[in-house]
Amino acid sequence: MLVDDGRPRGLPFSRRNPLEGQTVAADIALVGRSAGRRGRAGSIGDTVFRALTFFFALLVLLILGGVIVALVAGAIPALRTFGFSFVLTEVWNPVTEKFGALAPIYGTLVTSAIAMVVGIPVAFGVAVFITEICPLWLKRPLATMIELLAAIPSIIYGIWGLFVFAPFVQQYIQPAIIDSLGQIPGFGALFAGPPLGIGVLTAGFILAIMVLPFISSIMRDVFETVPAILKESAYGLGATRSEVVRQIVLPYTRIGVVGGIMLGLGRALGETMAVTFVIGNAHRISASILQPGTTISASLANEFTEAFGDLYRSSLIALGFILFIITFIVLAIAKLMLLRLQKRAGG
Amino acid sequence: MSSTQAAARLAMPLVPSDPDVRDPTEPMPGQKALIRNVDFFYDSFQALKNINLPLHDKRVTAFIGPSGCGKSTLLRILNRIYELYPGQRATGEVLIDGENILAPGLDLNLLRAKIGMVFQKPTPFPMSIYDNIAFGIRLYERLPHSELDDRVESALRRAALWDEVKDKLRQSGLSLSGGQQQRLCIARAVAVQPEILLLDEPASALDPLSTQRIEELIAELKADYCIAIVTHNMQQAARSSDYTAFMYIGELIEFDETERIFTHPKQKHTEDYITGRFG
Amino acid sequence: MDVYARRRIANGVVMTLSVAATAFGLLWLVLVLWTLLENGVAAISPALFSQMTPPPGSAGGLLNAIFGSVAMTLIATLIGTPTGILAGTFLAEYSRGSRFGEVVRFINDILLSAPSIIVGLFVYELLVVPMGHFSAWAGAVALAIIVIPVVVRTTEDMLNLVPNALREAAAALGSPKWKVIVMVSYRAAIQGMVTGVMLAVARIAGETAPLLFTALNNQFWSTDLNAPMANLPVVIFQFAMSPYADWQVLAWGGALLITLTVLFLNIGARMLASWSTFKQ
Repeated sequence: MLVDDGRPRGLPFSRRNPLEGQTVAADIALVGRSAGRRGRAGSIGDTVFRALTFFFALLVLLILGGVIVALVAGAIPALRTFGFSFVLTEVWNPVTEKFGALAPIYGTLVTSAIAMVVGIPVAFGVAVFITEICPLWLKRPLATMIELLAAIPSIIYGIWGLFVFAPFVQQYIQPAIIDSLGQIPGFGALFAGPPLGIGVLTAGFILAIMVLPFISSIMRDVFETVPAILKESAYGLGATRSEVVRQIVLPYTRIGVVGGIMLGLGRALGETMAVTFVIGNAHRISASILQPGTTISASLANEFTEAFGDLYRSSLIALGFILFIITFIVLAIAKLMLLRLQKRAGG
Repeated sequence: MSSTQAAARLAMPLVPSDPDVRDPTEPMPGQKALIRNVDFFYDSFQALKNINLPLHDKRVTAFIGPSGCGKSTLLRILNRIYELYPGQRATGEVLIDGENILAPGLDLNLLRAKIGMVFQKPTPFPMSIYDNIAFGIRLYERLPHSELDDRVESALRRAALWDEVKDKLRQSGLSLSGGQQQRLCIARAVAVQPEILLLDEPASALDPLSTQRIEELIAELKADYCIAIVTHNMQQAARSSDYTAFMYIGELIEFDETERIFTHPKQKHTEDYITGRFG
Repeated sequence: MDVYARRRIANGVVMTLSVAATAFGLLWLVLVLWTLLENGVAAISPALFSQMTPPPGSAGGLLNAIFGSVAMTLIATLIGTPTGILAGTFLAEYSRGSRFGEVVRFINDILLSAPSIIVGLFVYELLVVPMGHFSAWAGAVALAIIVIPVVVRTTEDMLNLVPNALREAAAALGSPKWKVIVMVSYRAAIQGMVTGVMLAVARIAGETAPLLFTALNNQFWSTDLNAPMANLPVVIFQFAMSPYADWQVLAWGGALLITLTVLFLNIGARMLASWSTFKQ
């Protein structure tokens, strides 16, 4: 029988050595024994290996679980003290131990919004260029260069922003904005204030540069899934390139594009170092985006190691928890959308 | 069941003279394997219906039929390679040397060590030519280096590949041409000294010259193995095989000696396929 | 203006904007790299690699920071790579369509894009608080948690590219499943997997936030993994934000070093990836 119950067995079929044409009994017993042993070793190996891979896959889940538990545990003192008003209070006073998350949350959302407003159109333009206009020999190097933008660590953007970009903005851009858009009654309050260089707008702009390669490469991948036949049919009818992009490619890849945008948003929301250098670290909400502010991650980066007192630290962790929830929701939506596109493309 | 198929069922036991096809439901001497009442399912879809046929030792049995008739599926039952995929299952019996290999609790790895398989597309492992051949041997035998070298050489000789690769055994298997890669896969399969060889359209991805060499190889190999070959190339089946099984939509329509099937097929369906009226 | 002319103009506008957008994106890349080179080169000297981080006002180098970064990156890679590979193997080879596999994949992608500062907070609570002090171990663990999702993803993707026929061929020889995976699938996917590890290393080479609350920083030379350890990103952070000119110069030098490493790893990974597809 071939059932491997662990006992050394002869081979199942009558064994003949094709080269010699005779049954070699000793060979059968020997090989059979080792075959049996190897067979058993094989199944032990299989069980062990499978258990090993399962364990590490489980570990991934446990890490996320651990993150959630750690954040919640650390945030509870603050949340219990302040309750829901924590999210609505602007005050951030370590001395009187009054903390509110409103300013960091506002800053996080506004800088990310600016990053999206600037970044999405540029990313879209880059994606269209690379997929539709770019000559073939230029595609790979160009795509690589854009992706290198994403590879540069955020601290590099941070110091570049602080030493190069912010002064530039302060000298040229901000005065120009203040003199033009800042003069419009009502709306102009968004662009008011002394030109400081650093601030919410600068931080948002740097974020835009950081997320655009990300969004662009997802858009590119998604654009490439459009079947060539579909585009050719449109071209065959005499459509211009921009019409094919707007009316064929975009509708086809709508879900994926939105998914990519949300992934970029998730990235922008969590970005720390680039923002920390240029946001100004002011725990307040200003109407003007030219003024300094703070984001959740910038507050954490700046204050956590020097935080004194349990409530202070707990409030910071609570901020981290809020950031985690926001990014989790955004990333989950993005993932679900991209999954749907993948299913539709048959991938 | 159509009248043709009913007639096919009844016709088989009545075929006289050739001892090998007299009674298909009992193992006969010279038979290496017997497929008995086998059904096969992909989830709820039944791909094979009530297959009964023998495989003769030291003979080549060819499986022909139009696409989707289940010939590859049937081949893959013989070494239970379908068990790699959940949702695929077989019922019935496949007796190899009297033992039912579809029985539960069977050690599949040991079974497959005794049955060699060559696939449609050449599948050299990403390792040296030597290691490709040695892979299967090393799984079950602990041989001294010199003996392993001999086994590798003899396998490559059997596959008519030795002269072409003997100076580059350390080079990657992927560096060979398509035809050479397929012969490498054949060498790999015979290196472990199997009893049965399963060939799933082994030449369909190759150029005519390589195809010819493979066919010559099969003619030599049949002296030592029971060979089952799936082919969509009828001329190949007519040339290379001793027995032929014609299948259609999961059923075995006719099984007979090759010469008889191609000159005097008993089923109209078989005749239609062979003369090219469909498929 | 007739319809066709309007369409032509619309097309021209869109195309021009695309070109402009691409030029715009490239412009910033060039600007950042240019200023980095300009300012960082001034800091490049033998002293950079032989002296420790100095107090403000004195000359010095970045040796302790370089060592710390290399050490923690190495440990993180050693911890994270096998973990990631095995978890990715589970997803590719054992979890065919299972719910558990889908959940793990989903969670992994969340971790992949999660803010790295959150990871720092987690390891702070996990290791720094119980241990009572900052340490290089904590820093390495935080970096490892960033490495793992990247390696899981690339391992799974690369293993999924291995054709099933190859697995069947190995199984048909009687090979147990784990040998099929280790001796055939891994070998077939090795180049892609190495690329994944390189990209993961490139990612953590520049990460600052996770180290802020775990390894902290160390002014002096230290090889004690149980104590705070200097590292390039945090040093850059501290020095750049300071008002001292010589510290700022060192910050640029460190920034240049990190960027060169990251670019080198990225381009290397890409070349490896395209070489392997070329070979097939």
